[in-house]
Amino acid sequence: MRLNWKLMTLGAESRILHGVWNNQELILKIRPSKSYLIDTIDSMLRRSRTSRESRMLTYARSLGIPTPCVHWLDLEQCSIVMDFIEGDSLKNLVANLREEKLRIFCRAFGKLIASLHNGDAVHGDPTTSNVIVDRTEKLWLIDFGLSERNATIEMKGTDLHLIYRALETTHWKQQEVMLQSIIEGYSSLVGPQSNLILERMRDIRERGRYH
Amino acid sequence: MVLISLGIEGTAHSFGAGIVSDDGQVKSNVWDMLTPSEGGIHPREASRHHSELGPLIIQKSIANAGIVPNDIDIVSFSRGPGLGPCLRTTATMARTLALRLNVPLIGVNHCVAHIEIGCLDSGFRDPVTVYVSGGNTQTIAFSGGRFRTFGETLDIAIGNMLDSFGRDVGMRFPAGPKIEMASLDASTFYELPYSVKGMDLSYSGLLTAARRLYSEGVAVSDICYSIQETAFGMLAEVAERALAHTKKDEILLTGGVAKNNRLTNILEGVAERHDAKFHRVSPTLAGDQGAMIAWTGILQYNAGDQIPIPDSHVLPKWRTDEQEIIWRA
Ligand SMILES: Nc1ncnc2c1ncn2[C@@H]1O[C@H](COP(=O)(O)OP(=O)(O)O)[C@@H](O)[C@H]1O
Ligand SMILES: [Mg+2]
Repeated sequence: MRLNWKLMTLGAESRILHGVWNNQELILKIRPSKSYLIDTIDSMLRRSRTSRESRMLTYARSLGIPTPCVHWLDLEQCSIVMDFIEGDSLKNLVANLREEKLRIFCRAFGKLIASLHNGDAVHGDPTTSNVIVDRTEKLWLIDFGLSERNATIEMKGTDLHLIYRALETTHWKQQEVMLQSIIEGYSSLVGPQSNLILERMRDIRERGRYH
Repeated sequence: MVLISLGIEGTAHSFGAGIVSDDGQVKSNVWDMLTPSEGGIHPREASRHHSELGPLIIQKSIANAGIVPNDIDIVSFSRGPGLGPCLRTTATMARTLALRLNVPLIGVNHCVAHIEIGCLDSGFRDPVTVYVSGGNTQTIAFSGGRFRTFGETLDIAIGNMLDSFGRDVGMRFPAGPKIEMASLDASTFYELPYSVKGMDLSYSGLLTAARRLYSEGVAVSDICYSIQETAFGMLAEVAERALAHTKKDEILLTGGVAKNNRLTNILEGVAERHDAKFHRVSPTLAGDQGAMIAWTGILQYNAGDQIPIPDSHVLPKWRTDEQEIIWRA
């Protein structure tokens, strides 16, 4: 696709470019190589993540989770072309939300993760920067490079642990309200099994600690 | 008048005492490390080591600094996190000294001390710290008045993983440096489980797979090389994520595993990619030692933080983000 891409953001592992084609706004996500890794690891990571991401964007949508539609996948360049979702990340919005609105968004976020888990998949990096809230206040999930299928209780517990971790490092002021609402939304869709998964989340949190 | 701090460290298998003055001079730093026996550290054994050698090490740190006990203005000790028996032995020595010298007692968080001595050593103000040792693998950064753990191991620490593999293949403790040497002779890379979860990581799968390669007769040098590239690659990735996430521009590498040159080289690459500065903490200040406790004690004391002896119980599970970092506010 020959089109005029403009750099939008630099992620930890990707370059995000924005372009317009046929009046449609698109995102080009490229995973450039990292010179400090040996080639074998570098290309293994770039390819597997690009391929995971593109497959999971589509699989998640089949589970009813709003995700950008994939238009093009290039495993040589390790890039994906997908729909541009206009909005702001949940991360950026949190600080300026009233508590009631924050609870609504967090419950919705919890439900998206629950739908993924009910489809036996995990996101792998479920931080608030990977949730886009659009103008209609609909939540979209992005950044599936670390996602996995055939998820076990352990993997689901880890996903929740990562949410907890993101809240305590990034949204410490609203941490309690957010965690509570996310779990509320999550449990409402996962059902009784959510107790098992939440228990595992707490286990995992204790495990890495020094005793 | 300078303020003189005695710092006592004893959270795990090392016991150390250091003298630091409030102008940032490390006047002495003495420590001794117990070689862990099969299966890791035994808390009781380590605490016995501390109580037997502690008084001598403290005396030596005072003598090496060229001062007398009465020159000491504050006594700082590692209050946690760590192994209960070790912490208690160390705290008892600190309390006794503080009482005898009639000076304030300061309870210091071990992880925070690693960061603060690293900042003193590097001149960094606000780094993302990569703290790698036998018992810890964490990326930590200051945010909202506290040091927050952005990522850590979900199972075993990187140093523990290296030492466990080393022991299996007959390397003496600590195996890290021997693994680094061996990897220089490698010719082939073998794929090992690369396990990053968000900003956390896991090393137990890697250890199991490395052991399997060894039992299959793969050359030790090749396994060492593959372990290093994989384990350090994972660490680089979580450091990079923490850096991108916090938008900070300094990376500080500390802890016992910081001595590894390949790890240093990889993290320099991360820093370069993000236009960040990089510093590896000097070997004498990177491991567990008393100077870091002494220095952090000064920062706390100057901010008005000291602890009455009756309240000075140890905190084996003291999380880094539980302490308000009043001197940085
Ligand atoms: N499809 C998209 N539509 C709109 N913004 C996007 C889209 N994909 C990525 N972004 C923006 O770019 C940022 C980084 O993208 P992401 O896929 O999360 O990459 P990384 O793995 O580097 O974090 C996101 O936080 C978001 O702001
Ligand atoms: Mg992202």
